[in-house]
Amino acid sequence: MFASASRSRLLPMSLPFRYFGAAAAFQVAAWGMLLYSFRALVEFEGGLGPVFGALHLLTLGVLAMTAMGATLQLLPVATRQPVRALWAVRLLWWLYVPGIAAFAAAAAAYRPDLMGAGAMAVALALLIYGVLLFRNLLGARGMKVVVAHGWAALGCLVALAATGLALVARYEHGWALDHVALRNAHLVLATFGFMGLLAFGLSSFLLPMLAVAPAPASGVSKGILCASLAGISIGALGFVLPAALIGLAAAIAHVVSMERALRSRLRRPLGASFLLVRASWGCLIASLALALLMALGLAPARAALLFGVLLVPGWLLTFLLGVLARIVPFLASVHASGGARGTPLISALTPARLLAVHGGLHLLALSLLIAAAVSGRPTFAALGAAAGLAGAVAFSAFFAYVLLKVRTHELQPPHQPATA
Amino acid sequence: MNYNRRISRRLHEEHDATLALWGRVEATLAARRHDPALLRSAAAALAHELDRHFRFEEAELFPRLAAAGEGDIGELLSEEHGTIRAAGERFIALVGEDPSKSEIRVLALELAERLVGHVQKEEMSLLPALEDLLDEETDDELDATYAAA
Repeated sequence: MFASASRSRLLPMSLPFRYFGAAAAFQVAAWGMLLYSFRALVEFEGGLGPVFGALHLLTLGVLAMTAMGATLQLLPVATRQPVRALWAVRLLWWLYVPGIAAFAAAAAAYRPDLMGAGAMAVALALLIYGVLLFRNLLGARGMKVVVAHGWAALGCLVALAATGLALVARYEHGWALDHVALRNAHLVLATFGFMGLLAFGLSSFLLPMLAVAPAPASGVSKGILCASLAGISIGALGFVLPAALIGLAAAIAHVVSMERALRSRLRRPLGASFLLVRASWGCLIASLALALLMALGLAPARAALLFGVLLVPGWLLTFLLGVLARIVPFLASVHASGGARGTPLISALTPARLLAVHGGLHLLALSLLIAAAVSGRPTFAALGAAAGLAGAVAFSAFFAYVLLKVRTHELQPPHQPATA
Repeated sequence: MNYNRRISRRLHEEHDATLALWGRVEATLAARRHDPALLRSAAAALAHELDRHFRFEEAELFPRLAAAGEGDIGELLSEEHGTIRAAGERFIALVGEDPSKSEIRVLALELAERLVGHVQKEEMSLLPALEDLLDEETDDELDATYAAA
């Protein structure tokens, strides 16, 4: 299955970048839908509607989409195994993008009868991705910590897809399933499981590379992975208190190990994108501390909403945006190299001011959404969604800028060097 | 990362030294300070790196990578060598003439960025590949060749 095609570990530029581009577009759509339904946000307790649609545009459309693009390009470098079936990478994108659009639109329009087709396309795409990931991990050499996180994330992906399909079946066919238990398991497996473990694993390889720092000690990373897996498994089974305790310990240990590694970096300036990464770590720890308070019955009103804000846009989205701001120009510079024109400077592909504007708007949006969840005031939700939408547009402009710069670099005459 | 191969460790140590030196150059120039001694030191270190480190990789390592089916890494790194060599030779010549020349600043900042990016790629792809590719005997031979160069 999935034989032939590529021997190179560097995919053609169009492959990872179509995933990043789709993620940028879905981010605009997610914030736009949230702005449209800002009143419903402060009352959201689950169930179909525009907030549910926006949430899944964010989780499936931005987070998982970016994870797919990033792992398909970066994992082969870490595992020293090329992706051998480029056609499958293309096919899964063509299934996944319309699948998410159909699923989120049907959910936003309270049409469970139409969600099934989108959900099936998404599940099929995730299956193809799972097979690609499985094959890559199976032949992996080197970077054992990244590979171990990959296996753990793959396990979570399988369980996540199964719980997701069961939830859709309940909506569409009225199956008698324990909705709350399934929904909670789905949430834990998606956020802390699949996405969280990929973020932890790739962090141990990517962040040291970007900062030119040593990777955290492998034993420490493996210990954190074991604790994370224990917390995720217990949490998925509904035991919130021990899961939150273990998860909180694992998250703090992860952040401490990463900060220790970064302190030994050889390249002093980290860049503004690391501000987003550090803000995301703060949100991760805060989300687990809040889960602990919720399990102890000490949480404030609307704690579930605040937990969701800290977890999805706070931890996962902020982390991904911080990392994408660095790896998109880095990968573009690698792809744009060739012939007499040489490799363009990464700084020439990085619009620093635009990224600063994006970072500021994103953090403003996050702060306002947290304020909305704490106070229950829709005005904060509206302002937060508006700032998030503006930030998402700025991020899309950054992505378009990089593509344009790569194209003009290709068109430059050979005697004209790339300049910052 | 901890390397088991002697040649990987040697190259890694040189990368560390390159990053430390060019980090100082970048910080000095970004602060608009003028330090002719630092520029001369950077030019001398770069001349040594272009002559020894780059040549060794091109002659001894990249062909081995290509033979092992990892030619894409060697091609990318070779191409970057070409770009760095062109800018580096110009930098060395300008510093040799007069370290206070105005065009040195932009060129040095470009070199600092290119060298950091190049080291990142070698640390991420070349050195881990060598760990897989080389046996102990070949590692010893390469280490001796490099020490004698």
